[in-house]
Amino acid sequence: MPVAPTNSLDVEVARPPQPWWSGLRSAGLDSAKSITGKSLVVGYLSLLILIPVAALVDNAFKGGLGSFWSQATSTEALDAIKLTVLCSFVAAMVNAIAGTATAYVLVRDRFIGRSALNAIIDLPFALPTVVAGITFYTLYGPHSPFHVNITGTWIGVTVAIMFVTLPFSVRSVEPVLESLTIDAEAAASTLGASSFYVFRTITLPAIMPALLTGTGLAFARALGEYGSVVFISNNIPYHSEIASSYVYSLVSSGQNAAAASVAMLLLVGALCVLIVSNVVARRLARRRG
Amino acid sequence: MRVRTPKLVRLAAVGLAGATTLGAVALPASASTQATIVNVVGYSVAGPAYKALETAFQATSAGSGVTFTNTFGASGTEATNVANGLPADVVNLSYYSDEEADATAGAIPSNWQDQENTVGGVNPASATVYTTPGIVTDSTVVFIVRKGNPLGIKQWSDLTRKGVRLVTPNPETSGSAKWNLLAAYAAWKALGHTPDQDQNFVKSILEHAVAEPPSGSTALSTFLAGTGDVLLDYEDDALAAVAAGDAITVIVPPQTLLIENPVALTNTGLKKPAAVAFYQYLFSSAGQTILANLGYRSVLKSVWAATKSSFAAFKKPTDLQTVTDINSGGWPVLDKEFFGASVTFPSNDPTHPNEGIVTYLEEFAGRAN
Repeated sequence: MPVAPTNSLDVEVARPPQPWWSGLRSAGLDSAKSITGKSLVVGYLSLLILIPVAALVDNAFKGGLGSFWSQATSTEALDAIKLTVLCSFVAAMVNAIAGTATAYVLVRDRFIGRSALNAIIDLPFALPTVVAGITFYTLYGPHSPFHVNITGTWIGVTVAIMFVTLPFSVRSVEPVLESLTIDAEAAASTLGASSFYVFRTITLPAIMPALLTGTGLAFARALGEYGSVVFISNNIPYHSEIASSYVYSLVSSGQNAAAASVAMLLLVGALCVLIVSNVVARRLARRRG
Repeated sequence: MRVRTPKLVRLAAVGLAGATTLGAVALPASASTQATIVNVVGYSVAGPAYKALETAFQATSAGSGVTFTNTFGASGTEATNVANGLPADVVNLSYYSDEEADATAGAIPSNWQDQENTVGGVNPASATVYTTPGIVTDSTVVFIVRKGNPLGIKQWSDLTRKGVRLVTPNPETSGSAKWNLLAAYAAWKALGHTPDQDQNFVKSILEHAVAEPPSGSTALSTFLAGTGDVLLDYEDDALAAVAAGDAITVIVPPQTLLIENPVALTNTGLKKPAAVAFYQYLFSSAGQTILANLGYRSVLKSVWAATKSSFAAFKKPTDLQTVTDINSGGWPVLDKEFFGASVTFPSNDPTHPNEGIVTYLEEFAGRAN
């Protein structure tokens, strides 16, 4: 039985505010509770994430490393992955800028309809993605009331992904902006700094870690998006087929190992992006002290 | 002032949503083992027909008190779902090989084609039009064009004219897509071309495809949303779309392919009297008449004779090709030859081993787009 409780989550140098019960825990009063708590968390994560991922890995490597690689990098897979990564990257970048601007307006400005706008931001999370996909097809397809047809193009795919991942960008930056006191910004302004200069030198560095994390999340989420994209892409293999749709078609035709291999490659890519964005975000946060 | 929902309330809401989702998934599954609930799984386009069949069946003495669960999607997808354990009593997929995949997986008895005679009481050899056992509906591959046919599309060769944009589902997921591409091949063959020319024609069809949605019904939605000039579709789906008032015109090409959709009782369905009764209803005159009124060509000789006046006729019997006309081995051979990912084709191309004709051609067509 460990006497001194360990908390593996607290690896950040900048420690988050501790909850009221942290005193109890450090006094060693609930180490038994913390062990049950930990096993519950591990059990829960195992059921939801670890076991399914292990099954996926097992499926992907069933035929050995060689078959994993040839399946994950078949020409159709590579074409689909290239398109997906490109669109996800562009969408994440655009959302990083647009999401920050949205968060800035929501936090700093007071206007009528602000709370409504605030609620609408989360809509992409609530709306079934297929519904979003069909709506986009109607609005920006051949019968577009705005005479804009982006179906079957990478721009269409990117726009659909931007819609689905916007909340990640806004919601990660928003709380940091909220906690930021405007004293420094106000001081800089009175000293004659332009508003862009103030944003670039004071606000942006402060929100940068959160922005990176949010962008990483948005990108990772985008790699696996299916419902909102499958219609607008027009789904032509080797041309406008997205990775998740290719995986779906492999599963449908009984090629489970190939499907797992492609999914595995996407998963590793998403994981790398998440790790890199998190590590960089933490470095930045630490440097700011 | 901004009002934040308290954390606890939000947590509770998430928990509640989660619990409801779990409940929604769990409830039908646990209820589905009940004797009076028949679980129907089918290919996407068959959905509306089953709604009508089930309602009519419930009004019969055999069907009173019987309720249904329905799962419809791309044929290949649903075949995989059934193989993976989706509760199913009656399985109506787009084409033979998907049904056979469920038999291989053990969900459907391997002699499912005999059920038509042994369970349904219909001897396919004497009582059906095309005598293939285990087939519940016939149809053909047709063209759907914009209302009034502005491009003057009449026959297959019109589809590959410069600038004509086609919509056909993705053959990797959709049964409809497989029928469509085989129809192009068969029609070209019926016109007296060589196998090489037939293959090249399939390639041109793929090159003209501007959208390949996952299933037959999503292909229709995509076309109705304005994409493409011609949609390749089941005749029954096309007629249903016309009946629904969609602004389209249906063109039955002079040469095309006979579509045969199989149905089977699963191992669990065979043990459920309600499912057996529903299966028998599908092959009854009443059931087949409902299907005929919805645009399917009836498999029963008697119902076909009474309803064929509302369907396009073909000049020569060979104008309506069957899968066995293309290859006497039928679907088991064609599926590998055209759509296979695990056979050797073309054997002379070392960079593309183990691919069927269509699987192979998709790459050239997709890259050329």
